Amino acid sequence: MDEDNNLLVSASSPVFSREAEIKEESFQVQTLTLRQSRDEFDKLFTAFPSAGKVQFILIGKRVLEHPDWFPLLDVFFRDPRNSVKARVAMVDGSAYDVVRFLPSNKPRLPLYLTKLFDTAYRRNLTVKTSLRELQRQIFERGMTPSISKLRKDDNLIVTGTALLDKKGKYALSIGSEETKLLRVLQDETQGEFSFTMTYPDKAQGGLFHLGSFSFSAPAISVKTKAGYADNKFKFDVKIHMRAVLTERHFYDIDIRREGAKLERVIEQQMKARFEKLIGKVQAAKIDPFGYGLYARAYAYKPWKTVQDRWGEAFSEASVNVNVKVTIGAMGAIQ
Amino acid sequence: MKKYAFNEITPMQYTLILFGTQVGTGVLALPRVLAEKSGTDGWISIILAWALNSVAGLLILSLFKRYPDDTMPDLLVRLFGKWLGKLILLPLLAYFAFFSWTSLVRGLLYVKAWFLPKTPDYIVMLLLTVPVFMVVRNGLRVQARYSEIVFYMTMWMPFFLLFLLSRGHWIHMLPLFKEGWWPIVKALPTTLLSFLGIEVLYVLHPFLQKKQYAVHGFMIANGMTGLLYLLVVIVCYVYFSPDAITLYNQPVLSLLKEIEFRFLERFDMVFLALYLLVISRSWVPYIFSTVFCASQLLGKQDHAVPAVCYMIATIVLVFLIHPTWNESDMWVQYQLYAAPFLVYLLPLILYLYVRGLEAFRGRQTP
Repeated sequence: MDEDNNLLVSASSPVFSREAEIKEESFQVQTLTLRQSRDEFDKLFTAFPSAGKVQFILIGKRVLEHPDWFPLLDVFFRDPRNSVKARVAMVDGSAYDVVRFLPSNKPRLPLYLTKLFDTAYRRNLTVKTSLRELQRQIFERGMTPSISKLRKDDNLIVTGTALLDKKGKYALSIGSEETKLLRVLQDETQGEFSFTMTYPDKAQGGLFHLGSFSFSAPAISVKTKAGYADNKFKFDVKIHMRAVLTERHFYDIDIRREGAKLERVIEQQMKARFEKLIGKVQAAKIDPFGYGLYARAYAYKPWKTVQDRWGEAFSEASVNVNVKVTIGAMGAIQ
Repeated sequence: MKKYAFNEITPMQYTLILFGTQVGTGVLALPRVLAEKSGTDGWISIILAWALNSVAGLLILSLFKRYPDDTMPDLLVRLFGKWLGKLILLPLLAYFAFFSWTSLVRGLLYVKAWFLPKTPDYIVMLLLTVPVFMVVRNGLRVQARYSEIVFYMTMWMPFFLLFLLSRGHWIHMLPLFKEGWWPIVKALPTTLLSFLGIEVLYVLHPFLQKKQYAVHGFMIANGMTGLLYLLVVIVCYVYFSPDAITLYNQPVLSLLKEIEFRFLERFDMVFLALYLLVISRSWVPYIFSTVFCASQLLGKQDHAVPAVCYMIATIVLVFLIHPTWNESDMWVQYQLYAAPFLVYLLPLILYLYVRGLEAFRGRQTP
């Protein structure tokens, strides 16, 4: 979107020609709709733009700052020849800057972006929201959408997740650390989860953070229960993690004998992190976790009265997070 | 006197024809239609519709058990005489012809929307009807073999949907009976329509080799249909949000768009192209029933001529009308009004009539 709030659509496409020096072309046009932009692109591109091949949809932050932009994407769902698997991401800045980015040490942009986000997603540093998934999250009354976020400095950087409200308007940004927590609370515990923490009372101020330790959580079980009492929803979230220590900078705790101590530390810190994220999200009156689904399942009557303003109702709900950690392995050394 | 001995079919073929007739294009839209009426409780309607349909089928079978060598046209003539019998046959013929027409048009619209948007519709219709005609002009045995082979070729398809279950959200299914029983009952008529197909029993029954398996075959076919629908509907409900599922005209096709392999994108296209086999398998018995009734009405043995006429008529009609989705929806609505009379009420009346006749004769003869 430009300064006068006109919609700008830009596209990048690979050029398959031996004679072309640069194997990619990108253009920007001003239109009313995406389907109209295709005609404009047809005047510019050497090839035949076809929405069935779209890999990635980048949306500038300026568009997302307005509600009701989602119908712009209608063409992707209506025309059966179009693919709905394209990923959606928000660009912190201008989307065209990313589209015309031509790094010499990277593959073509669509491949580059897909790879970049796939690897980040495997470690749960961002979410993976396809067009279809976005449609689900927009229409489902029990949750609000969350999409990947990136920024372009000298390189493209995945910066975590953008949380939108029910109308698709940008509401809140969370970093990659918090995205991991979001994924856990969504009960999407595939992929790798790695957390780093500081053990309290260990050499704090040192240059090399000697109190730090990391663990990965290969198995996380999340049990969510919902209830309704005293005019507000109550959620009970029980998270059970198996932790595998991957590094620690201190050796004065014997995990064989004092493992429970470390488990309690992790539990406390995880709980605090979860609660902080939930508080932030509730303050923004959104529900990217999908707790509305549980509210519908376990408290249908009260849910019916608030289903069209679930974000508000959720901001008043009380969420009780309970974390239990078992250290499953400490690695090859003590 | 066994009129149809030459074209007898095995119990297996009989079962698969029945199953093939029931499963057509309806299942592609079924999850949406159910969700519109009864939300995520729609799967309960399927179980109810399955039970109702089983009862109706058993009724038809117990009627024909008394006249094992009669088709419906034969039976009507036997019971009501030549003229009255043929008069009653007329609406049935119209029903079969109309049903075949709507399901052909449905197939045509799918092909046009998903594969050949720029090909004129009558050309698509021509391409669809020629192979179907090649099957239909033969005897029932050939058609039964067609049903059987299509079944073997496409039986893997439902299992592909299971890939998506791992990405589903089972929480959508709760709570059960969200709004009580009423929406579930309200969805019953449409659900019943997707179970239609048992009316080919009117024509099929005398051709069955071993009549003692008629009930078993029917129950298996109806059960398979029920299970298939349950699977499809539950996968769709679990995958799509209950608030969004009514958005998709054919949720099953939208669902298939989600299946992608590393080596194959747009798997939905491959799937739908193969699904045409399944659709054609439901056309064949309906068109056969139509032309069979027509040839009986005219007192001819051979049904190839009516078949040719029917095919040409459909192509010409498509050329003249150029059916749209909305029209096709409207026609399906008409079917919904007609079906209860011809599929559920007619056998019931005939059954009561026959029982009454027997009781009457029983009193006369001793």
